[in-house]
Amino acid sequence: MNIETFKYDNRIVRAFAIATVVWGLVGMSVGLLIATQLFFPTANFDIQFVTFGRLRPLHTNAVIFAFVGNGMFMGIYYSLQRLCKARMFSDMLSWVNFWGWNAIIVAAAITLPLGLTSSKEYAELEWPIDIAIAVIWVVFTINLLGTIMVRRERHMYVAIWFYIATALTVAVLHIVNSMEVPAGWFKSYSIYAGVQDALVQWWYGHNAVAFFLTTPYLGMMYYFLPKAANRPVFSYRLSIIHFWALIFVYIWAGPHHLLYTALPDWAQSLGMVFSLMLIAPSWGGMLNGLLTLRGAWDKVREDPMLKFMVVAVTAYGMATLEGPTLAIKSVNALSHYTDWTIAHVHTGALGWNGFLTFSVLYWIFPRLYNTKLWSTKLANYHFWIAVFGMMFYVVPMYWSGITQGLMWKQFTTDGFMQYPNFLETVIQIIPMYKLRALGGSLYIVGVILMAFNLYRTAKSGQFVPDTETQAPRLEPESGHAVHGGKHRWLEAKPLTFTVLAVVAVLIGGLVEIVPMFMVKQNVPTISSVKPYTALEVLGRDIYIREGCVGCHSQMVRPFRSETERYGEYSKAGEFVYDHPFLWGSKRTGPDLHRVGGKYPDAWHYNHMDNPRLTSPGSIMPRYSWLLSQKLDTTSLPARIGALRKVGVPYPSGFEQIAQKQLETQAAKVALNLKTGMVNAAPDREIIALIAYLQRLGTDIKSAKPAVTPTVTSQDGTTAPTAARN
Amino acid sequence: MIQNVLSAIGGIGVFGVISILIFFVFFGGMLVWAWRLKKPYLSTMSELPLESNSQISPKGPESHE
Repeated sequence: MNIETFKYDNRIVRAFAIATVVWGLVGMSVGLLIATQLFFPTANFDIQFVTFGRLRPLHTNAVIFAFVGNGMFMGIYYSLQRLCKARMFSDMLSWVNFWGWNAIIVAAAITLPLGLTSSKEYAELEWPIDIAIAVIWVVFTINLLGTIMVRRERHMYVAIWFYIATALTVAVLHIVNSMEVPAGWFKSYSIYAGVQDALVQWWYGHNAVAFFLTTPYLGMMYYFLPKAANRPVFSYRLSIIHFWALIFVYIWAGPHHLLYTALPDWAQSLGMVFSLMLIAPSWGGMLNGLLTLRGAWDKVREDPMLKFMVVAVTAYGMATLEGPTLAIKSVNALSHYTDWTIAHVHTGALGWNGFLTFSVLYWIFPRLYNTKLWSTKLANYHFWIAVFGMMFYVVPMYWSGITQGLMWKQFTTDGFMQYPNFLETVIQIIPMYKLRALGGSLYIVGVILMAFNLYRTAKSGQFVPDTETQAPRLEPESGHAVHGGKHRWLEAKPLTFTVLAVVAVLIGGLVEIVPMFMVKQNVPTISSVKPYTALEVLGRDIYIREGCVGCHSQMVRPFRSETERYGEYSKAGEFVYDHPFLWGSKRTGPDLHRVGGKYPDAWHYNHMDNPRLTSPGSIMPRYSWLLSQKLDTTSLPARIGALRKVGVPYPSGFEQIAQKQLETQAAKVALNLKTGMVNAAPDREIIALIAYLQRLGTDIKSAKPAVTPTVTSQDGTTAPTAARN
Repeated sequence: MIQNVLSAIGGIGVFGVISILIFFVFFGGMLVWAWRLKKPYLSTMSELPLESNSQISPKGPESHE
């Protein structure tokens, strides 16, 4: 036997561990700030860079990609080396992974407050950063697969399968969903429009939850839980079924984010059915985790690391039962757009990802510093504060979600809406928003205690940059006289395994997405739906920049309670020029798809200046800078060109007349404002935004093109004129 | 809607059958496979995280307080 001596790289693990704690604090603090803004709107200090709309994506990105992302790398870099009995494939790639990933996060923290966003949830970063993400992810994947190739352990433990599935699927999801055409360095338009964009986005969005927040953490559970309990996983057979069933089924479930929308019904049903099936593998995995502790529950009482782990796995079980429940259409009809969804995702984020990360941090730090945890008592305090923090977060959100959902749907005995004013339903739940902020604060206090405890732990020990160890070299295998038959063969060949895992993952995506694109012509086209005018395009881009989509949907569902409140339900054909789609997923404010023509221009002007003037009690931020900032039209030709490239039929040469049209339409808006006793210069951003808002949902209101005459070019394509208003 | 949308795809009838087949073959195969795995293999595999213990171990369970 050829025994080799080698070293595990602990430096990279420590780097990711520290980044996890730091970004965790940042991401959660931003969350607390925007949670506060929801009951105390002036908590943004009327500064555009810290409004809810701009910071909400920063919160989600920081928590998902910075906190969980670094936590995932920490867990993978620690466990992979030990499971493979090999140092990481390349130290250089490890550090490129670390610095690259964290530079991307810094770029996100700069660009998102500046309003540079694609607006697609959890994929908001603009195209140069998207490319950087793809490059760094490839670096990580090479490092991962390379380490597996040079391993000294013949078998690939199930945790490694979860890591491989993570690396490959996230790459596919990110690249497909980020396909966009640039219009300048920090602006791009999705190549997909409307319904298709929605399907691709939620195929991505849902599987970001699956393959970024779940599979790597399941891998970590399968490694760190047996390790901490000092006993093997309850059933290895179950873990195999858990893996294959989970990755196969998860990828089909994305359309459950689009129930009752304009997405074709068959795709909605597919999403719902596969979501329900997900209960089986998810609960198989949860039970496998909890049953690993049978006979070791006495350890849970003493070891805070195991306490965190048990709550994490339990939260995983609760979230994965609730997710499929929310994917049932009749439940979703109530829950969607409300805080119920917020409660659900935070059970997952705070409970599953948060607690598992804390557990692994408490496990890794003493080992990296060759010491013991500085204070078990403090870790126990952290545990209980975090549990109460989570409870104070999710319970009020359930309360507020169900309350508001029911209020939206309530009719009087005479058949009128009980709460016709949306604001009534908001004011009702403000106390819940306050409680939620209290819960979030408690949770953050817990993290601060942990950071202090880990710091003191590090101070009390001596960092071990490399752990020296020995293992026999992996000799080429002879014959098949090994246990396990075919699966054994499969997991011994990482490349074959990788290819099969990708096939399993891709099947679901293809079955959904391919028909959706094949039936492009069958998204019933509506002849009166026309492309946006130049001014409206820029207005829409301001809507995207300010993150309005974070609080306002543009999708009236076909319920009486919605058509009464908002107007005609939304049709697939109305969104064919929407690059990207802006259907939204949460109604902190009312739906805006039919807002066009509902209020005078001057109302919008005053409302944007101070929402509480027109709507007393509103929690919307002031957007007074829109009234003073000059509309930047220099990028207009580039934007028109990019939109044409993604399929909007602007005639050739439209760029040349776009500016003139824009000015004509802007002058008309300014004139309208004057009749409403508002004096506004026509070259301000507010003018473009008003033009866009007044256009929303109006195209189908008349058989004639709602936007009045169009210019027909020689090649037969049409362009909108600025003759409306 | 579903008829309008899907009837436009040539030979759509076979798509559903293929989907069901892929689904059952995949799950049937996986279950049979998992069921037939041998005990010694499974126990070797589940011991993997535990045996990679040739690293530093913490000094002890007790803490400073």
